[in-house]
Amino acid sequence: MTERALDVSGVDSGYGEVQVLRDLNLHLNDDEIVCIIGPNGAGKSTVLKTVFGLLKPWTGSVDLSGKDITGEDPADLVRTGMGYVPQVDNVFSSLTIEENLRMGGVARSGGLDERIEELYDQFPIIDEKRTAKAKTLSGGQRQVLAFARALVMEPEVLLIDEPSAGLAPNIVQSVFEDVQKVNELGTAVLMVEQNAREGLAISDRGYVLDQGTVAYEGDADGLLDDPEVSRLYMGGADYEGVEDL
Amino acid sequence: MIPLQISPFQYIVNGVVFSSIIVLAAIGLSLVYSIADFANFAHGDLMTVGAFSGLFSVAIFRPMLGDVGLFGLPLWFFLALAFGMVAAAVIAVVTDRIIYQPMEDSGSIGLLITSIGVALVYRASIFLSFGSDSERYGVARQGPIPWIRESFGVAITPRNFVVVILATVLVTGLHLTLTRTTLGRKMRATADNADLARVSGIRTDEVIIAMWLIGGALAAAGGVFLGLEELVRPRMGFDILLIVFAAVILGGIGSVYGAMLGGLVIGMVHELVPLFNQWGIIPVGSRYAAAVAFVIMVAILLVKPSGIVGESG
Repeated sequence: MTERALDVSGVDSGYGEVQVLRDLNLHLNDDEIVCIIGPNGAGKSTVLKTVFGLLKPWTGSVDLSGKDITGEDPADLVRTGMGYVPQVDNVFSSLTIEENLRMGGVARSGGLDERIEELYDQFPIIDEKRTAKAKTLSGGQRQVLAFARALVMEPEVLLIDEPSAGLAPNIVQSVFEDVQKVNELGTAVLMVEQNAREGLAISDRGYVLDQGTVAYEGDADGLLDDPEVSRLYMGGADYEGVEDL
Repeated sequence: MIPLQISPFQYIVNGVVFSSIIVLAAIGLSLVYSIADFANFAHGDLMTVGAFSGLFSVAIFRPMLGDVGLFGLPLWFFLALAFGMVAAAVIAVVTDRIIYQPMEDSGSIGLLITSIGVALVYRASIFLSFGSDSERYGVARQGPIPWIRESFGVAITPRNFVVVILATVLVTGLHLTLTRTTLGRKMRATADNADLARVSGIRTDEVIIAMWLIGGALAAAGGVFLGLEELVRPRMGFDILLIVFAAVILGGIGSVYGAMLGGLVIGMVHELVPLFNQWGIIPVGSRYAAAVAFVIMVAILLVKPSGIVGESG
């Protein structure tokens, strides 16, 4: 049965004096991929940072599986069942792949070796390079390592900040397939994505963020088909007949 | 008078001994830079703190242990070394907690300037506690080991050996800690990317404490060895600080292994200056050893601006 994995209610947040999020409400069920889209500066990444305790919410609450985790330290949240994959610099580049995974599991109480082997099985692309430094990986491989690092703790919820950022177009699709795989392996995914169409295409639901608050929400398919959302937030190309030409 | 001809190997031996001291100091400076993200100008004076803490403990250990010896040095000296290392490690952590941590928001430059103040406090405390005179640990003077002198024509004293061997043990221990233990990996991860370390669940506060403990202890070892080879002076660490910085920058700032390599190069060049002068390569003598070391540093950085093992770009 589907249960609520993450609940964000009435959250205001920002950097210093500058408010970015305004009365933000969103949720994530435990079997879902939910994608947050929106224009640059809408506060998409700020949502993830606030949920993960990198920014303290000014008001409002964040619940993980019914437990209030508002403003908890990231190091504690990792132990409570949440993982986070930053947009950039999301691997330890001077450490080996194996060491990166070990660092992802520092908070585990046991079974680290077995868990790492499982992840190697699930993501063979990094299995081949266990002893290579992470800085030698390609962009797509790095992203896979970043996912795997965050999955060592077997989180209930994984927050992923723009998984396609900076990747060549031919790599983007395989990274999104890996996001789906993460979800199929039992982790709910809250993802921020600039690549709105591709992000929504693999998601169950979506939120359109504008000026720090939710402007639209709904099923991913519904948002993709919504002419208003498409025109305002996805460039609107499909709905101006470009695709049909 | 015929000038005394010194074997070139003698300068190399001197270089290895001096390098051992510089490497120990450079590692700590580099660790602080890579993990706490600032150039710690109090690091030289932390060496002095370690050296004087060791000196203080001599008064306790020497009467207890008398002249029992180990590797040609009295046992109390090794205990004084350990005491100095522990004292400097604790003082480094306490300084971080009460001074650097509250100043964290002031950024790298703010912390650098703060560390200059900390250096002055360390030095003034030593002047107040021990006076301004140069001191000695009181280890009986020993001549060179006879068979080495006869076989190789090089004067190596037992204390030279102890300094080099203990420095090697400490550096090897650090290497194994960094590469084989979870703490070491956490330290490397935090140095690599502190934000990612936090979001991976690493308690970076604990890593920072470990970093200060290790950096402080190694600085103290460098200070005690410097005091053993030369004199225990209130300005000893401050006087050597620029050379330590040169080693760290040369190796690649923020890289512990770079600091080791940089320390070796700078220490060797520093001691080889008289030999270079003897061979007519450079027109200056040992009084300008530090300047020559800096020129070599600049020359290498012109070719490789990020340092010997530093990442480019």
